[in-house]
Amino acid sequence: MKKLLYALLIAASASIFAGQAHAQVIVIANPGVKATEISKSDLRDVFTGNATSLKDGTRVVPILLKAGTAHEEFLQVYIGKSDSAYRAGWRSLVFSGQASMPKNLDPESAVVEFVAHNAGAIGYIGKATPHEGVKVIAVK
Amino acid sequence: MFNKYVASGTLAILGLSVCLHAQEFKIGNKDVQVHGFGTQGYVKTNDNNWLTMNTSDSGSGAFTDAGLNIGSQITSTLRVGGQVYDRKLGQLGDWHPLLDWAMADYRPKPWLGFRAGKVKTVLGLFTDSQDMDFANTFALLPQSVYPIDLRDASIAHLGGDIYGREKLGHNLGSIAYTAYGGRRSDNMHSGYPYLLSGLAGIYMTSYGGPVFGGDLRWNPPVRGLTVGMSRLNEMITGKGSYDGKLGIPAQPHYQENSKHDWTNQYYGRFVKEKLHAESEYRRYLRDQIIFSGLSWVETDIRGWYVGGGYQVNRWVEAGSYYSHYRIFPSGGAGVATSYPDAQTHDFDKVVTAKLTLNQYITVKVEGHFMDGNGSALYPAGFYSNVNPSGFANNTNALVVRTGFSF
Repeated sequence: MKKLLYALLIAASASIFAGQAHAQVIVIANPGVKATEISKSDLRDVFTGNATSLKDGTRVVPILLKAGTAHEEFLQVYIGKSDSAYRAGWRSLVFSGQASMPKNLDPESAVVEFVAHNAGAIGYIGKATPHEGVKVIAVK
Repeated sequence: MFNKYVASGTLAILGLSVCLHAQEFKIGNKDVQVHGFGTQGYVKTNDNNWLTMNTSDSGSGAFTDAGLNIGSQITSTLRVGGQVYDRKLGQLGDWHPLLDWAMADYRPKPWLGFRAGKVKTVLGLFTDSQDMDFANTFALLPQSVYPIDLRDASIAHLGGDIYGREKLGHNLGSIAYTAYGGRRSDNMHSGYPYLLSGLAGIYMTSYGGPVFGGDLRWNPPVRGLTVGMSRLNEMITGKGSYDGKLGIPAQPHYQENSKHDWTNQYYGRFVKEKLHAESEYRRYLRDQIIFSGLSWVETDIRGWYVGGGYQVNRWVEAGSYYSHYRIFPSGGAGVATSYPDAQTHDFDKVVTAKLTLNQYITVKVEGHFMDGNGSALYPAGFYSNVNPSGFANNTNALVVRTGFSF
């Protein structure tokens, strides 16, 4: 019984910490993007190539991180795929002529720089990364 | 054979993956991307030669393909691009490169887009992505629905598509549609012309005709689920010569035409994190006038599969499927319509391990356990051309396939 309670405590703690870790990724967009929030499903559609615009009609261009903690968290929380499966999905679209491969940038400051200066750009970074010149989009 | 093809092909893949990355450059102020992929496979069977390769002795490495594409997003609504593809699959392909697709894609609205040129055909879950070894769990997709030897029959059409995607109200998910029309024109180094040359003494010089069809898929409000259906109608004409092998007088100007030629395909797929599961059913009915009007043949082909995969860890995925193929042949003069049961079906049980070495390279090891050979009257992987002594009922096969993409 003690072992079970202990295991449950560990699991609960892990889920709390995991929830906190999920909050460490923020979605950023070019200031010209009108939306201030986006649904999870719309965000997933944009970053999997299923959509090229938001609900308000604004055309958006997804910008990816090459690797890193923020990238892994973004995939886990919003896409639900591993990095290799995610990139394979994009390549499937490219090789069937349905999309162009989104830009992959590194480090996070390069994502901020690109998003700030390119109309319609939307990306993701760690919460602690300086992000002057871009707007943060809330994910609901 | 193993050493010659497999070693050199695998080394090429490993070498290329080290130095090749997706290339991007500018023409004017437009970004242009270059991407490519390639695979090298090895197949060994315990009996019967499979997929036109000599697989039953020491195995065959005549299983190579590659593609290279170039594309550019011209404006926010217009994209252009093209892809060249080449392969050797035993006696098929034979290193005759093809223009795989080349099109302009204009999408002014999410729910309305237009593609024109040579366009990949949307038919079921994987027709337009069947060459993308990196994206698939399996070294060979279920052959009952995606026969690799008949790739040319449905891979692309010269014409146009209207397509789009729209979210449904009342939280009903989203739908995506494609409607297309155009023309199919088969490569003469594909399975059907090869079959006819061995089976019937018919030597095709052209095979194709008008096609039209559509696809409708629904993503219901269950994350990861997709269900849909596709329909393809064709009016095919084949031309060539016939040498009189089947008792009907020889015809230097042989012709065959479709009376009815259609495919219905129904599918469902569920993807959740490390797991994916899918199933499809395809019925292909082909009713033709052959021997320049002197006879007829009908093949009613029904195939389905159920399968899936699980990502065990970041490098290894395990997968399995059961593939079920049945052909119901009938025909007139010169057409054999009575076959042993083993020739009218192929039930394939498959297990796979996929190793992802990095984002560029994959290796797959796959076992096939086939009951039947489906060799009656229409290509199904087993050809009399490379099995002149006849067919064993069952075949086990080992398939190893390495691939890269960038």
